[in-house]
Amino acid sequence: MKKRFNPIKDKSSEIIEFLMSSPDIPDDDALQFKLRLSIEEAVENVVRYAYDGGIGWLEVGTSLDHDSLILTIELRDAGVPFNPLEREDPDITLSAEDREVGGLGIFLCKQLMDNIEYRYEDGNNVLTMTKKV
Amino acid sequence: MDVKITNQDNKTLVVLDGRLDTTNADRFQQDVNPLMQMEHPDIDIDCSGMSYTSSQGLRIFLMLQKSVLAHGGKMVMRNMNPQVKEVFDITGFSNIITIL
Repeated sequence: MKKRFNPIKDKSSEIIEFLMSSPDIPDDDALQFKLRLSIEEAVENVVRYAYDGGIGWLEVGTSLDHDSLILTIELRDAGVPFNPLEREDPDITLSAEDREVGGLGIFLCKQLMDNIEYRYEDGNNVLTMTKKV
Repeated sequence: MDVKITNQDNKTLVVLDGRLDTTNADRFQQDVNPLMQMEHPDIDIDCSGMSYTSSQGLRIFLMLQKSVLAHGGKMVMRNMNPQVKEVFDITGFSNIITIL
């Protein structure tokens, strides 16, 4: 299933709930926790940073390969070209005093999903996250 | 998410109930702001009702922990559900915040 949201300012919750309601997502609390967190972080990333003033669209979708049971979540936007995977991972060994506040969103996606890929295609940022379900 | 904060015998008890996410993180930050002004805070956070936290919640817990250390205080978080605990583990927060 797929849907384009426009505009996306203040629409994070609606977009997250749309994806979480997908029939491609199995009824499994532990798995849903990880998927919701990954989806929230990826969606927030676009809603907050992709467009100046949040005026723009975000197309989101899910698909499930019924043979491999690999769930794919895709986000596409036409905002500022930005590869979130290039951001350096936080150093999780630092003390509280030395830890930087923030920068955990995409790191969480990387940890909780099996794979994340970014590409810039036809003027769009495309983020694809997959997980065996 | 519901946040209850009570002060008793120089101890601050915080009870969290619900999902801490992008919709309520700003309000949660306002709720805990006064705790960041205290000298020698002694904060006990009951997480038994907290079913979820996103990075927006984590950043507030880190700010709180930094503030507690800077003010010569202490803070513990207790009764975290296993999924929330896993988020604290994979981000290294379990090493910098006392979780009982």
